[in-house]
Amino acid sequence: MLMKYLFAKNEEIPAGSATIFFGFSSIFWFVVGTGLGSFNAAKLAFPDWVTGTELFAFGHMRQVHVLAVILGWISMAFGMTMMYMTPALGNTKLWSEKLGLWTVFMWNVGLSLGLTLLWMGITSGREYSDLIWPIDLVVIFGVLLPLGINVWMTISHRKTQGIYITNWFFGACIFMLMIVFFVGNSPELFNLTGLTEAYLTFWFAHNVLGLWITPVAAAIAYYTIPKLTGNPLYSHRIGHLHFWSIIAFYSTPASHHLMSAPLPEWLKSFASVEGVLILIPAVAFVANILLTMKGKWSLFVENIETKFSITGVLLAIPLNMQGGFQQTRAINWYVHGTGWIVAHAHLALLGMSSFLEAAAVYFGLQQMLRRKLYSLTLANLHYWFFIIGFCTYWISMTIAGLMQGAGKIYEVPYIDVVVAEHPYMIARWAGGTMVFTGNVIWLYNMWMTAREGTIVPSGRYAHELAYER
Amino acid sequence: MGWKFDQPLYCLSDEQEQKETLELWEKQKFGGLSSGNNRLPFPLTFLIALIVMTAFLVTMPIWGQRPNAQIYTSFVAAMDDPQVQQLATPEEKIAYVTQQAMAQADGVLQGAIERHPLAWDDLLNIAPQIKELQASGSKYSLDNYNVVGDRIALANFEGNFVEGGHRERKQPWWDKGYTIDVFYVAYFMIAIVLITKQLPHFSRKPDMSNAK
Amino acid sequence: MAFQRYKFGAAGIGLMFGFSMSITLFGPANDFRSGVSTWVGLDKQLSLGRVIGFSYEDPLVIGDGKPIVVILDKDPKTGAAIDPPQRAYVYSAGIKFSPGVNHPELLGPGVRDLSEGKGQIAQANMATGAVFTIGKDEFNGEELDYIVNATAVSGWTPAEVLSAAGDENMRYVGKGKTIYITEGCWWCHTLLPEQTQDWQFFGAPPFLGDMNGEMPTAFGSDRKAPDLLHVASRNSSREWMTMHFFNPRLVQPNSIMPRFDYLWGKKDASGNTIDFKKWRADYTAYVNGKTIYPPEVPEPARTAEVRALIDWVLTSLR
Repeated sequence: MLMKYLFAKNEEIPAGSATIFFGFSSIFWFVVGTGLGSFNAAKLAFPDWVTGTELFAFGHMRQVHVLAVILGWISMAFGMTMMYMTPALGNTKLWSEKLGLWTVFMWNVGLSLGLTLLWMGITSGREYSDLIWPIDLVVIFGVLLPLGINVWMTISHRKTQGIYITNWFFGACIFMLMIVFFVGNSPELFNLTGLTEAYLTFWFAHNVLGLWITPVAAAIAYYTIPKLTGNPLYSHRIGHLHFWSIIAFYSTPASHHLMSAPLPEWLKSFASVEGVLILIPAVAFVANILLTMKGKWSLFVENIETKFSITGVLLAIPLNMQGGFQQTRAINWYVHGTGWIVAHAHLALLGMSSFLEAAAVYFGLQQMLRRKLYSLTLANLHYWFFIIGFCTYWISMTIAGLMQGAGKIYEVPYIDVVVAEHPYMIARWAGGTMVFTGNVIWLYNMWMTAREGTIVPSGRYAHELAYER
Repeated sequence: MGWKFDQPLYCLSDEQEQKETLELWEKQKFGGLSSGNNRLPFPLTFLIALIVMTAFLVTMPIWGQRPNAQIYTSFVAAMDDPQVQQLATPEEKIAYVTQQAMAQADGVLQGAIERHPLAWDDLLNIAPQIKELQASGSKYSLDNYNVVGDRIALANFEGNFVEGGHRERKQPWWDKGYTIDVFYVAYFMIAIVLITKQLPHFSRKPDMSNAK
Repeated sequence: MAFQRYKFGAAGIGLMFGFSMSITLFGPANDFRSGVSTWVGLDKQLSLGRVIGFSYEDPLVIGDGKPIVVILDKDPKTGAAIDPPQRAYVYSAGIKFSPGVNHPELLGPGVRDLSEGKGQIAQANMATGAVFTIGKDEFNGEELDYIVNATAVSGWTPAEVLSAAGDENMRYVGKGKTIYITEGCWWCHTLLPEQTQDWQFFGAPPFLGDMNGEMPTAFGSDRKAPDLLHVASRNSSREWMTMHFFNPRLVQPNSIMPRFDYLWGKKDASGNTIDFKKWRADYTAYVNGKTIYPPEVPEPARTAEVRALIDWVLTSLR
């Protein structure tokens, strides 16, 4: 069906097709990404489990897990939300469904190719920018540029006068991500070396999180929460405070990843202050959303999409408290490089961000398919597998990280730390596997929704209808 | 499939609520930052002020600074004291030396010594290097050298140009990055007030006069 | 009515983002330029070549097109003894030079002047290949290490140096680091000891000038295993490394490191096919207490990937 639409006339493609393809691709990549994550975690707990071939070696799969989740699940879920939220907020149609479909096609092809190469070991050897530069160019020009054009053109063809905060985020974040991708990968493109390369690697790694994953996830919540609760956003201006402070403060603290590298000290000082200041957007975001919920808190229990969304928002609180302070010199020396950071990264990506996106994918797919969710029971199972699995992971890795930090400071022989961490590695694997199981349930649930969900009448929202299962 | 995009969207919030939002927007002063409904709530502005203050306090470059060789010169001077030789354990020795050093130090140096305690073995490692540096007459003063593990190395920090045409390698407790940040935050605060004031509300009635 | 305001907003995004970019990119770029290469930095870039990881010369990332480090104990031209033995970096014809040779400004002030002047690096020619060494000299009152183009200065040709040294003195450092990258060792091991008590186990953190011309630096950020920046100073045993790579549990029962037995390839040093299946069965018997000694680890072949990896670990990570 995708192939048919790729070469159809734009007018003949039903509205929402791009959303649907994006949505299912993102769930698929989520299953793949968390499955790999669970497999990797098993290898950390039981190193002799599958051996003898480089195809299933930890070092060949770890980056595939990371990029499948970041570029596959999270970014495609973003693409999906952009395909339906941007036009809805502008009271217009998507500028080009066909371009949207081409984007999702290029995205899947490019990502599959890039990940296959990575799996084989064909890598640039730079953390988070491991994709080799030809693939980087595909990402910039084959994926981000068309996505950006679609979003920017939809915004400028809108039929409302104002631009809602979500669209501010969408438009600006794609633009900034393109710049970040290009600059961050310039060491490969122009063979920049040494400290410049090291710095740009982490400049990229940090800014992808700061200018893409967290802000766009937040932008999604600015849409879903008012839609689901029926309350208008508490304050559009606090939203703007969030937006502008993200651009100002979240684009700068990259060097806090390299506190012990010989970077100029002034840069580290600058980054530390900015790193704490990311609490400004965080406070603005969390306050805004929680105040929007006023009078509708029952939906946190009753409505599955709200449940996901608010869980994500609540997880943003520990996320930013950790993130703001762990990067200062005074704390960084203790936790840097330990499992604490792994726990923190999962809190950002698997906790805060993924919950917000899951809500948007649930909501958007029902809306665009015009079908009610197949089964509430399965959705609830997904939620509880997800949250319990995630918490198991997060808590066990945090404990392991604190032990590692203590081991580092008190000069404990490294192998003793490894022994002490073993139970937590098993807990990590169990947690990751639960998340993976939940996602398999989700994929089934969504597939069945597309096939057998109750049809939502025109002019109504899916969440206004009662569940049948 | 999908919404009907050419008709106004179905909205769960009622007409009255929308109208109120719009009216409040029109009547607010200073872009609504300080007046009217939905102004930034006091707890929020308080939190922001708190964050900015905290940010500057917890990241002051003295926290987590590498120790410089200057801190330990008085240690090196005191370690050859005959009284030290009589003490039995390394713990007692370093305690005595630290005490001597603290007694001579001024307030700033005392703080530095407290933040960077030293073990006796470490002192044995770095003492000859410090003596060598003192004797060598290098163009950099001792506080331009970091103690990194058991090595003393010229700090990797590029500071201001000093007389003699080279840059000092000293990390000040208030450095360039910190100064940039003060201005950066100040500019941001001005910019955010201007920007939010300029932006019209998203829910203003669509102006369809130019629509095709 | 309000479109002007949105132009204002768009300009604001550009302005704010541009402002933060200029602080975080142009500011440090200025400071990086003044980093003067140390011996460690020169050694790294000369032994690693132009770039590690995906590149034109090595599209499959298997370590093609990398220089060979040779430990010389006698002058290949005159036969005079060199004591202590010196490292020579052999770039055979067609192998791309390290970044500092082609772009001497990367070496930092002083080192650049010495390398271009006394070192004659500008005369190095890729078509015929070149041999480099590291020299030491005084520049404006400071002792600096610099690159010497030994082909121009002493007339050493790549072929002569390689044949004078013999295989036992060759170190496949560039290929070794390529394997470090492709096998993802850096997902668990860092190359960045921290500025705290970390050094008591892992040694001093890297200094400014220690990585000029290196790409990628692969510092790593997530430490599930010991830091490796100075690992060869702690343990320089080739036998230990060989056993540890084949199956880490042979030397460290609690290790969670994966087995890298697949880096041995199909044949061992004497050309016999390695029977992995039998080895595993024997090892399982040993683990279960049925035999007292673990099976022998096969001697890696001269061209085995693991040999290059160990070469890199023992030569570069000191």
